[in-house]
Amino acid sequence: MIKAFTTRRPEMTPFLLLAPAMIIMLFVVAVPLVFSLWTSMTPYQLTKPQTIHSFIGFRNYARLLTDSAFWIPFGRTVLFLTIALNVEFALGLGIALLINKITWGQRGLRTIMMFPMMFSPILVGFQFKFIFNDNIGILNNALQSLGLTDQAIPWLVDGKLAMFSIIFAEVWMSTSVFAILLLAGLFAMPRDPLEAARVDGCNAFQVFRHITLPFLMPFAYIAMTIRSLDVARAYDIVKVMTGGGPAGRTELLWTLIARTGYENSKMGMANAMAFVSTILSILFTYYFYRKLLAARRFMGGVQ
Amino acid sequence: MAEITLEKVVKKYGAVGVVHGIDLAIAHQEFVVLVGPSGCGKSTTLRMIAGLEDITGGLVKIGGTVVNDLPPRKRNISMVFQNYALYPHMDVRANLGFGLKIAGQSPAEITKRVSEAAEILGLTPLLDRTPAELSGGQRQRVAMGRAIVRNPDAFLFDEPLSNLDAKLRGQMRAEIKKLHQTVKTTVVYVTHDQVEAMTLADRIVVMRDGHIEQVGTPMEVFNHPLTTFVATFIGSPPMNLLPATITGGAVQLSDGSTVPVPDRLRGFVTEGMKVQLGIRPDDISPIGHGLSQDGPGAELRLTVALAEPLGMESLIYTHIAGQEVQAKLYGPRIVQPGETLDFRLALDRAHLFDAATGRSVRAA
Amino acid sequence: MSATVESQGSKRLKAIGLWLATFLLMLVMCVPGLWVMLSGFRPNREILAKPPIWVPQELTLDNFGKIFGWGAEQIAIPVPAYFTNSLIIALTSTLIALGVGMAGGYAFARFRFRAKGALFLGLMLFRTVPGIALSLPIFMIWSRLGLIDTKLGLIIVYVSLNVPFTIWLIDGFFRQIPLSLSEAAQVDGCTRWQAFWKIEFPLARSGIASAGVFAFLTSWNEFALASQLTRSTDSKTLPVGLLDFTAQFTIDWAGMCAMAVIIIIPALILTFIVQKHLIAGLTFGGVKG
Repeated sequence: MIKAFTTRRPEMTPFLLLAPAMIIMLFVVAVPLVFSLWTSMTPYQLTKPQTIHSFIGFRNYARLLTDSAFWIPFGRTVLFLTIALNVEFALGLGIALLINKITWGQRGLRTIMMFPMMFSPILVGFQFKFIFNDNIGILNNALQSLGLTDQAIPWLVDGKLAMFSIIFAEVWMSTSVFAILLLAGLFAMPRDPLEAARVDGCNAFQVFRHITLPFLMPFAYIAMTIRSLDVARAYDIVKVMTGGGPAGRTELLWTLIARTGYENSKMGMANAMAFVSTILSILFTYYFYRKLLAARRFMGGVQ
Repeated sequence: MAEITLEKVVKKYGAVGVVHGIDLAIAHQEFVVLVGPSGCGKSTTLRMIAGLEDITGGLVKIGGTVVNDLPPRKRNISMVFQNYALYPHMDVRANLGFGLKIAGQSPAEITKRVSEAAEILGLTPLLDRTPAELSGGQRQRVAMGRAIVRNPDAFLFDEPLSNLDAKLRGQMRAEIKKLHQTVKTTVVYVTHDQVEAMTLADRIVVMRDGHIEQVGTPMEVFNHPLTTFVATFIGSPPMNLLPATITGGAVQLSDGSTVPVPDRLRGFVTEGMKVQLGIRPDDISPIGHGLSQDGPGAELRLTVALAEPLGMESLIYTHIAGQEVQAKLYGPRIVQPGETLDFRLALDRAHLFDAATGRSVRAA
Repeated sequence: MSATVESQGSKRLKAIGLWLATFLLMLVMCVPGLWVMLSGFRPNREILAKPPIWVPQELTLDNFGKIFGWGAEQIAIPVPAYFTNSLIIALTSTLIALGVGMAGGYAFARFRFRAKGALFLGLMLFRTVPGIALSLPIFMIWSRLGLIDTKLGLIIVYVSLNVPFTIWLIDGFFRQIPLSLSEAAQVDGCTRWQAFWKIEFPLARSGIASAGVFAFLTSWNEFALASQLTRSTDSKTLPVGLLDFTAQFTIDWAGMCAMAVIIIIPALILTFIVQKHLIAGLTFGGVKG
């Protein structure tokens, strides 16, 4: 059957090969998203099943627009992502340059760098909950033993410190993606342009700024694209570390969705929020994917 | 018997035509070389013969059978690829025997035929190596071995020597020629290198922009190019072309000077005809330093612009009627730029092309 | 003379700085994880001790015995069931995603077709939907279909989660393999299907394996969807099970650390087996056009 199909209509072969993927994505992502869109236009509550049939248009979205209980976590999420990704990129670049300079044990170091990548986000959250614990955490224990402080610092209890701790966990988990990809970029870097630039009189910083960095950008964009696919994993970290507390000071868009939908049973509203967060993620991925394509075209398939 | 026939073969990618209706008949055991600049459609033509590209229009026949809708495996051909396409995960023995194994030959038969092919190509000591452990020339030989081991009706070569350095290329060229003399199979060989075409081919097919410009033996194509394209593509350095007009029974160049119309072309030109005078560098030489001193000729006094000594000969750049031309000086003499010498043009070997069509006046 | 001595001195200083920076870096990368894993082998009272006990006085397997129900002391959390669920769900979804991803990746690598770029981007954008956002409609639909708290329900979701990235990676690996190899095999007498299985598949095998490891890790580590779509020992996975500990009256740190060890070990082993290919896969997929 398939064979007859492919030999008679060869132009259909790729679509046939892609069919399983398409079907799965359609039924597990596309259809639910449409359903989610519908639900977001109803006042659906889990406790009142009939409410899913009353259409209220964009009223949920209108409420979100004016609700500071939505805007504050939304803004915090954007801020959280901006800080985390920039720190990850900067650190990753630094680590890649550092390891590229080192002449011994590069492969071993690279392997060690993969260590955080295999941790489940929920595990990372737990790990830092354990480490940042004000009473038994290794961090406070160390600070107190070294005599740097005599009281327990409330890492996860104070709002600002808790946010810092969460960003720290996120950066710990994800910097490796940048470091590994940028290091791969440095390894793949052709020597000729570097030497040409040096002959042309560039100093070390200029070589880095005008040759190395542009060459690395496609690798940075791959890392960004990969990261953009799973930024929402931060939900797991927050969930286990603070649960959005204290007093909502670490609430991100994603924990807010879970709270609204599952704990408060307000599915209509939660779906509206979910849609906003989905669009945010899609824009984010789309942006970096375009950047990646542009950079790739710019490099003209260097290697 | 494996003659290959192309009838009005067309290839289009969407609306873009790559091959525009080619007719070609390749005889049994003939060695035919398709030559032309990149993008001329020669590789696409070869791949259509192999079955690796769909044929948009026309017919391809191998051994009298239309093969348009047959997959490559049913055409009983073998092919040597530009990058050799050796299977990296198999050793040389397995690479050679792969086709036989797929065809369901017995292990004994495979062993026998693999060792025969390895013997012919001097691969016997390399049978247990993987492609990564071979040099460029050795890989090339394995690719050829893989082609001959199946005893196909025809060999197809797709620029097989372009990845080798110049010295090795010469060696492998000779080996391919010898191989053809040994196995005597029909060969279709694609290259952009006119030297390969000249040395290997029984017949050369010069292609350009999806059309065939000329088909002929190497000497026919060299001595009687049908178009200015063939004239400049075959032969190195390329033939000089000078715009001219037939005036008073002579060829008048753009500065008003004239040379006689070569005798053998006299019947093909008419008064007032716009032409291009084609003459190879070998046929413009300082008097006493040329290939041939007799036969009809024209003498011109020219100033040397640049000379490239090549040992026993020098390539001279000079100007005729204000246009740069290349000339050859035979003999170990050194000339200096600015020197003025008397040159002789061997007119019996000159060509005239219709300026409007670019075709030889003989063909028009 | 003195200049060269000086520059030698500064070179040595630079080397020491480099060494120190690397050491600190590795410390930050490794210590948190190792500390948790070490704590999995320590008794709870030592973890809670004040003043802190820095050098472990005793190492024990009691925590593992406890969560697996071997020892005398037992806890109410059915870790063995979670482990089995995690393994079944992760392995099954990985295998299916690999099959689907291989077909799709091959299509992208080897064929020209209409709207190719848009389809590829579309797949990626589907993958980017946040897990918790996707969980809402899936939760509602799965409730109706009776897929809540079943392994099948989670497997289906994880396949969809893994397909886009698997396609991306496998596409990159197939594009690494010159097209002429498959063509040579077809001229040598293979069907396209045979050429795939005998030539292209063996060459892409290590890449496919690494795509499999990524898929496995994604499924094995996933929490947001699993926490909403599972209820009981029928389908709950290890990451969800870890939170069971926090629901108890007092936090059993040692038990949680032991469970962390159980979650991390399979991931660790798998990653180190194919780590070389993981990096290659990520870069080829993206950079090679």
